[in-house]
Amino acid sequence: MRERPAGKIEQSWRRSPSRRAALGSLAGFLLGSPDLFAQQDPFRDHSRVPGLDELLTAFDFEEVAYAKLPRAAYNYTAHGGAGEFTVRRNREAFQWAAIRPKSSAKAAVVDASTEVLGTKMQFPIMAAPSAAHVALHPSKELGSYSGCTAAAGTPMIVSYATSTPFEEIAAAGGGPLWYQLYPREKLEDNRPRLERAQAAGCKAVVVTIDQQAAYYDRSAHDRNLSSRRRRPSVRPGVKPQNPYRFTSTRLWYEWKLFDGLRPMVRTPLLAKGILTPEDALLCIEHGLDGIVVSNHGGRGLDYSPSSLEVLPEIVDAVGGRIPVLIDSGFRRGGDVLKALALGAKAVCLGRVPRWGLASFGAAGVQRALEIVQAELVLAMKQAGCPTLAAADRSLVRLDLP
Amino acid sequence: MNGGALTRREAVARFAALPAFSSLLRAQRAPQLRGEPPGRIAPLDELVNTHEFEPSARRKLASAVYETVAETARDGFDRITFRPRMMVNTLALDLTTELFGRSMFAPILVGPIARQKQFHADGEAAMAAGAAGAKAVMALADRSDVPVERIAERAAAGFWGQVYMSGDGAAALARVRRMTAAGCSAVVVTVNPGPGTGRRLNWGFFKRVRDAVSAPLILKGVMDAELAHAAVERGADGIVVSNHGGRSGAAAAQPIGVLPAIAGALAGRAPILIDGGFRRGGDVLKALALGASAVLVCRPAVWGLAAYGAAGARTAIELMQTELARDMAMCGAVNIAAIRPEHVRIHRRAPGE
Ligand SMILES: Cc1cc2nc3c(=O)[nH]c(=O)nc-3n(C[C@H](O)[C@H](O)[C@H](O)COP(=O)(O)O)c2cc1C
Repeated sequence: MRERPAGKIEQSWRRSPSRRAALGSLAGFLLGSPDLFAQQDPFRDHSRVPGLDELLTAFDFEEVAYAKLPRAAYNYTAHGGAGEFTVRRNREAFQWAAIRPKSSAKAAVVDASTEVLGTKMQFPIMAAPSAAHVALHPSKELGSYSGCTAAAGTPMIVSYATSTPFEEIAAAGGGPLWYQLYPREKLEDNRPRLERAQAAGCKAVVVTIDQQAAYYDRSAHDRNLSSRRRRPSVRPGVKPQNPYRFTSTRLWYEWKLFDGLRPMVRTPLLAKGILTPEDALLCIEHGLDGIVVSNHGGRGLDYSPSSLEVLPEIVDAVGGRIPVLIDSGFRRGGDVLKALALGAKAVCLGRVPRWGLASFGAAGVQRALEIVQAELVLAMKQAGCPTLAAADRSLVRLDLP
Repeated sequence: MNGGALTRREAVARFAALPAFSSLLRAQRAPQLRGEPPGRIAPLDELVNTHEFEPSARRKLASAVYETVAETARDGFDRITFRPRMMVNTLALDLTTELFGRSMFAPILVGPIARQKQFHADGEAAMAAGAAGAKAVMALADRSDVPVERIAERAAAGFWGQVYMSGDGAAALARVRRMTAAGCSAVVVTVNPGPGTGRRLNWGFFKRVRDAVSAPLILKGVMDAELAHAAVERGADGIVVSNHGGRSGAAAAQPIGVLPAIAGALAGRAPILIDGGFRRGGDVLKALALGASAVLVCRPAVWGLAAYGAAGARTAIELMQTELARDMAMCGAVNIAAIRPEHVRIHRRAPGE
């Protein structure tokens, strides 16, 4: 399998973010004429957008999404924290883990199925929770869900910031649904949402605990170019919470939150955003049933480590007591196999299904997921792993920086 | 630095070409316009990080002047990642920094930069106003274009005075006395770093300054544990880990890279300050985790001053303060004392190495 560390667009952001792209779109916007606009944009001046059946890797969907979305919507999916070091590192990390095939014997048949906290899946791949699919495609989360379901019943984690109510998604019927919560400071304020999701049949609840004070240079630029120009950290009319000129509703986070949430949740309860063994152990101490090792796709603290590089030490600390899931930067089946070999039970994809949805709606989500699934099967065959149980740490040679 | 497909300059150039958008004219135009339209400088309130101040300054300054404040190598920061801790209540986030018995708003100072009228007509006076606006201490350079007494009037958050070791030191000592008389709250003696500095150093001058001032005395230009030790033994109250902004060559060691060894050697006997390549709040957080008490910021303040005057210097410092506060919250450090070595990991290789 050809390794492709980053897509063209990721490459184009290798150094610093965004003003230039933002200004490029400003120029095009002011011109207004589609003819001229096409000339402002290195991608849009192609005479056609490729068809779904021409896309061969998950990366290819990003380029179509880029061509189809308004720039701010594209940037919202693409961006990471501050200078996007962690976004880049999330991809580079896969170069530090090399797959060493078990033997020369290739596996003829592969079974990649697994079960995580009672949710059975044909592949150890889930759709990560991501906000506001309305910005990507008119079918919103319903398109994502039907795409996931069509792709071998891929479980979907519905975001707290969904643009379609959880009940409405669940009513469409299909694969397993989990629910992601951004916790509210007043404990009781969490109950109604948790109740609704559970009543509608969610199979697990994931509480996202990172991103207490994230900032995005790219969206700041997008805002600069809109009529609502403002400084990134100061919202008009909102009195800053602190002398450091920013506002956040998440600075109150504390571990004891989970002691309060636990009785409200009848399903397995996970925490998402763990990057140290110390915090993984605190999750166990506070009764969590699973964790997601994640740097939020590079959208939280910049210069966070890639999730892959900290996975082994976290898996060691957890010692098999609870399942460890992972996300951030996964684009290929080979990426998934590396994380599984290092001890993850499943991998969540955030941007991949978003690009799929933005490109071709539900069919795009389905195809993007199927590509990664097929790559995983191929990688397992080549590595000589007939089942996931055979993918242990000896399968990967790590050379962390 | 900017390796993107569509550079900002290209985009702006195309934007500037809008009035000429008849297809006829377009056909005649050179296929690619390069460079920002002459003199175009982004409005201050569009800038979202200090990196973006540099192009504005470049456009404002004569190239020979700009070269003295052009960006330096700073890949040392890329060898350090964070170990962010979750679920730490940071509602009481507090960047207040105690240094030499005084309280500062945040652990970020404006470093000593010589001859600031090169960058802006009001020179150090504007810089002092900018630093004061950001509640930051300003270190006034030995070779300044504005008398220290005028700085003292403007530096609401206080100022330090920097002096070079030179000659028999009588003139330098007179300058130190004038700065302390004007109210500077610390004296910084700068040495030019280099191998064996500790041995070559003019310790006689250092001793005379030590004897002459009661204010805290800080040796700047320390790049190894040996000199750090020597300075403290001879009565320095603190040191600044610094290689003078890397102006002695891009391949030179970077201060952030030598900080851990120096902090280990001093083991808390004297506060350590540091400068060199600090552009983001996260850079500052790394230095604090590795044992520094505060950071001096130079180029971003100069870029701000050059392009936007006092308001630019102030905004550059304020952006770094805000980033530091946010990054502390995301690392789970509620105040400066809570920042620990365990919040960072040092790597052998930078990305791509
Ligand atoms: C546009 C976007 C929106 C996101 N919204 C959420 C969200 O609402 N809740 C959440 O827990 N994570 C959210 N995430 C993070 C994802 O769940 C996941 O951690 C991340 O996208 C994984 O990295 P990847 O995009 O490289 O696969 C979002 C990510 C993106 C890209």
